[in-house]
Amino acid sequence: MQRVNLTVNGVPVSREVDDETLLAVFLREHLELTGTHVGCDTTQCGCCVVHLNGTSVKSCTVLAVQAEGGHVTTIEGLARDGTLHPVQEAFHRCHALQCGFCTPGMIMAAVDLIETHPEPLTEAIVREEMEGNLCRCTGYHNIVKAILAAAEAMRPAKAAAE
Amino acid sequence: MLNERSFKAVGRALPRNEDQRLITGRGRFSDDFSLPGQVWAAMVRSPHPHARIAAIDVAPAMAMLGVLGVYTGADGLEDRWRPIPHNPVPSTKYDVKLTGRNGTEVFIGPHYLLPHDKARHVGEAVAMVVAQTLEQAQTAAEHVSVDYEVLDWVADTAQAAKADAPRVWDELPDNVLVDSTFGDVAATDAAFARARHVVSMRSHIGRVTGVPLEPRAALGSFDTETGRYTLYAGSGGAVRQKHELAHVLGVEPGRVRVLSFDVGGNFGTRNRAYVEFGLVMWASRKLGRPVKFRAERSESFLTDYQGRDLITEVSLAIDENGRFLAMRASNLSNVGARCVSLSPLSKGSGLITGSYDIPVATLRSRAVFSNTMPTNAYRSSGRPEVTFAIERLVDKAARELGFDRFELRRRNLVRPDQMPFTNAVGSSYDSGEYEINMDRAIRLADLEGFPRRRAEARGRGKLLGLGFANYVESSIGSPKERADLIVHRDGFEVVIGTQPAGQGHETSFAQVAADMLGVPFESVKITLGDTDVVSAGGGTHSGRSMRHASAVIALAAEDLIAKGRALMAHLVGVSSDMIRFEDGVFSAIDSNQALTWSELAQQAGRHDLPHELAGGLRVRRDNEMHTPVFPNGTCICEIEIDPETGAVDIKRYATVDDVGRCINPLIVHGQTHGGIAQGVGQALWEHCTIDPSSGQPLAGSLMDYGMPRFDNLPSFKTEIAEVLSPTNPFGVKAGGEGGTTPAPAVIMSAIDDALSEFGPPAIDMPATPGKIWSAIHERSRTEPLGDATG
Amino acid sequence: MVMYPTRYHRPAGLDEAIGLFTECEDATYLAGGHTLLPTMKQRLAHPSDLIDLCVLPGLRGIGLKDGVVSIGATTLHAEVAVSPIARQWIPALSGLAGSIGDRHVRHRGTIGGSVANNDPAADYPAAVLGLGATVVTDRRRIAADAYFVSLYETALEPGEIITRVEFPIPDQAGYAKFRSPASRYAIAAVFVSKSGAAVRVAVTGAGAAGVFRAHALEAALEQDFRPGAIAPNQVDPAVLLGDLNGSPEYRASLVAVLARRALGHLGEARSYK
Repeated sequence: MQRVNLTVNGVPVSREVDDETLLAVFLREHLELTGTHVGCDTTQCGCCVVHLNGTSVKSCTVLAVQAEGGHVTTIEGLARDGTLHPVQEAFHRCHALQCGFCTPGMIMAAVDLIETHPEPLTEAIVREEMEGNLCRCTGYHNIVKAILAAAEAMRPAKAAAE
Repeated sequence: MLNERSFKAVGRALPRNEDQRLITGRGRFSDDFSLPGQVWAAMVRSPHPHARIAAIDVAPAMAMLGVLGVYTGADGLEDRWRPIPHNPVPSTKYDVKLTGRNGTEVFIGPHYLLPHDKARHVGEAVAMVVAQTLEQAQTAAEHVSVDYEVLDWVADTAQAAKADAPRVWDELPDNVLVDSTFGDVAATDAAFARARHVVSMRSHIGRVTGVPLEPRAALGSFDTETGRYTLYAGSGGAVRQKHELAHVLGVEPGRVRVLSFDVGGNFGTRNRAYVEFGLVMWASRKLGRPVKFRAERSESFLTDYQGRDLITEVSLAIDENGRFLAMRASNLSNVGARCVSLSPLSKGSGLITGSYDIPVATLRSRAVFSNTMPTNAYRSSGRPEVTFAIERLVDKAARELGFDRFELRRRNLVRPDQMPFTNAVGSSYDSGEYEINMDRAIRLADLEGFPRRRAEARGRGKLLGLGFANYVESSIGSPKERADLIVHRDGFEVVIGTQPAGQGHETSFAQVAADMLGVPFESVKITLGDTDVVSAGGGTHSGRSMRHASAVIALAAEDLIAKGRALMAHLVGVSSDMIRFEDGVFSAIDSNQALTWSELAQQAGRHDLPHELAGGLRVRRDNEMHTPVFPNGTCICEIEIDPETGAVDIKRYATVDDVGRCINPLIVHGQTHGGIAQGVGQALWEHCTIDPSSGQPLAGSLMDYGMPRFDNLPSFKTEIAEVLSPTNPFGVKAGGEGGTTPAPAVIMSAIDDALSEFGPPAIDMPATPGKIWSAIHERSRTEPLGDATG
Repeated sequence: MVMYPTRYHRPAGLDEAIGLFTECEDATYLAGGHTLLPTMKQRLAHPSDLIDLCVLPGLRGIGLKDGVVSIGATTLHAEVAVSPIARQWIPALSGLAGSIGDRHVRHRGTIGGSVANNDPAADYPAAVLGLGATVVTDRRRIAADAYFVSLYETALEPGEIITRVEFPIPDQAGYAKFRSPASRYAIAAVFVSKSGAAVRVAVTGAGAAGVFRAHALEAALEQDFRPGAIAPNQVDPAVLLGDLNGSPEYRASLVAVLARRALGHLGEARSYK
């Protein structure tokens, strides 16, 4: 057991955890942030993707203790003051989710992709860069559309930030 | 009954109501629930495909840290668990009637929560450990000592059907549990005898698994004060599972409450109850603590109810002009170690002639046990298999007999003027315009441009093939559905017994209810999933939901409007026929008195109303519909193969799908996309491979089981055709499974076309790069190059 | 499954890390964790202690000195993929790093972890062997040709820590891989480099004993450094893997094809599937 201290969705948290506690389990069971999901056991499906220190990671393959002192953003922390993030909005408009289980990780992955990819996104780039996230319901078609739409909507903000 | 001009919501591509919670991480999936004091279950699973359970020593596990109990089939015997009433033999009015040999009753192999005699497949749970933490339960499970007497086993479908195969069940003389023959044998034989041409084919459409991204999970608790069990578990039908699990535990259904809210994908895998659901309920009562189970993904691969696995031998008798005269089929379905569902065999049996007018046919349908995980309905249960058979057979006929594969189909398609069309095995297709589907698909796919694209690919050293398939599929499903319609002060509630796992019922059903009641779409909420609120319903499977829901909601709305008029009549002091209802407003004729639903609902709470009008403005309506509907369509794809590596790239994929009336095109297109992906997955990557020497399943994780992904699928071109079905008020067919039905056929059709210069088709699904490479480089080219096919 | 209990340590420096390793009952070093943690979740590994190397100072970063690109052991794949130094001097290497796993994996996985683990289908071993790199540890320098021993086996001693990998800058290099549809690991992958007259061809994913140098291909390419110099019979199926992904004969063919494609796209890493 050790104490782990980090910031989650802007809120400092501190908990005693078993050393082997996964970040995904820490979020779901210790902090009751059940929006992050666990879909597989081989680090492939991407349902568990969150942001750790500014980049997307598979929280099922990070120990909570490895995140010590860091900051985590989960799906619950994406919307600001009740206003949906452009990626969330685009997923809704484009019908980029059906059962919703892969959706939190998918959205977090998409946000990271849009914010960090150096070139403007195309369908080919989106399909290649999102291969770490699986969806069984949508056939990916609408998710691609949603990510491209969100990237377009976020372009002015991204340009200003650079 | 329906006034289409009044449709304000129906038919519109409205974004979904359910999205809000799902995109902000506030979904309620099974594993999201926890109860104070809950403890954890882990299963002990058989490593053998077939073994007698001689003894189970629980003592070492019981002594371990945190362990509260270790349970086996012996506990089940003592507590008199009943088998899960899967009711696998389809029994609605229009289901094909499957029987055992010589018309006998089908022996299904009882399914106890834990077996006491044998383990009949790798992964079968033989014991359950409950402990304070999940880690303790899993560790203790490793120390449960099971003394197995290993038995001979059989996994292969064809092998299992042989008379001398190891027997999975001692109650049967062999493993064949179903053997029924349908159709006119004499007429079929006569047609074959006089036919100019006969073309035959054998295919094995292999075993796949659904891989819903949410692994199954269950949280059971027991309240000693009320004597009631509560189960949180996602499923394909909470009402059904409530009744099934109550039966297993020997209690009245009223003593069980099942809660199934957000479900992370179903596709058929959750249509039948899992042993863990009953076990956590039972154990929670035994221990006086809530008990939670959640499957690992590897457990899902091993023990989710699996899909498909059909061997089909088909023959077509054809005259000199390419007219189909007769068909013979012999289908063998591998149900696994016990029979959980015969839906795949049954649904497929009704559709062997596909989209074609084949006057006579004979079908022999058999099902066989094997030492494998039981199979169940999986996306378009049974229909992709038989579509594969007929469409590949027609391609073969075209190839061998020198017909153009499009022309051969046109010559034989069922025509609109033949609808309703009863096919040679007794299925009555309700409606459809099959040739128009073909024409539309050909335009959508730009068939004209294919030769140019193929030449261009050739210039890059690649082989481009064109795949084509028609399909007709069926939606029957549980025939009963119930809807409660309730008018609240601030909106409308529909309580209904379907069980979505992503199909958008909270939106599409609200569209129907809103238009029926003449109210804004935004004011309607759909309630699902809690059996204390949802009293009855058929669940979601087989594309049944929209059809049944729209019908029962329409009827309930009629009842509610009638009740509203009667109430207003009472309040105003006139007879009911003096009250008009229009656009959501009740008004008295010859008077300016008018009330909205909300105003009327407020009056409905009064205590001075006559009995039949009291109790609030609400109705409950049951509906039963047995008549199946037959969605149909056409699919065209282009696949580019890299002959140096065997790599496959799907360049284009176009479909036209007749879903009957389309309530929400956004949702229907989404269903088509997802359905396509699952069908393509079976054709190219997915297979529950079993090691032939050990009987061990080899596809135990996503490392071995290839999945459709962002980077191996194209964007699709999908068009919806709406040929209204005459069988239900809204004219709905179904939109959930048409994407999958033709997909395996069309993909293999394209691959075979791309590789046609290397000989006749020789690749079984999944058509992995290794197999394609082998078909190109390791076959001797004895056949002449090229063929006349299109 | 839930991992067996373990203890996690944050050493302040290399000495403390090695000291902990020696003292603990059965310790394992932890870097990005994307091989170790999944293995622990399968309960195939249960170290008593985990020693986190990613917290050590001075092990992360990419530098250029005297014709060598030096990559610190805890440098992330994503960092190598976008590194201006790597992209300018060994673009096949930065491209290879950018092709590992998926983007989330690349945000955690490290070169040190990959090279220490020596997964037979991992990408970095092909680059290390294919460029004749030097694996630098806390106690010595190991040449690539001496480093890779067998499947998951390297020349590292117990407790030895990789601190950086030094890649000599080649005249030309290229990488081409063919990925399994399921695992997305390489069924076969080839790293080719030329420095002066010397050619190195390293193959990963296909060998029955892990990454290896294809000497017949090297000899052919030393005569003529062009795709046309490669003939299928230069790759012997007998030393290759046969499994659900493909037969040894298929892999042999892939190796030849990928070698040609690597030569046809020098300065890049190409991924096929």
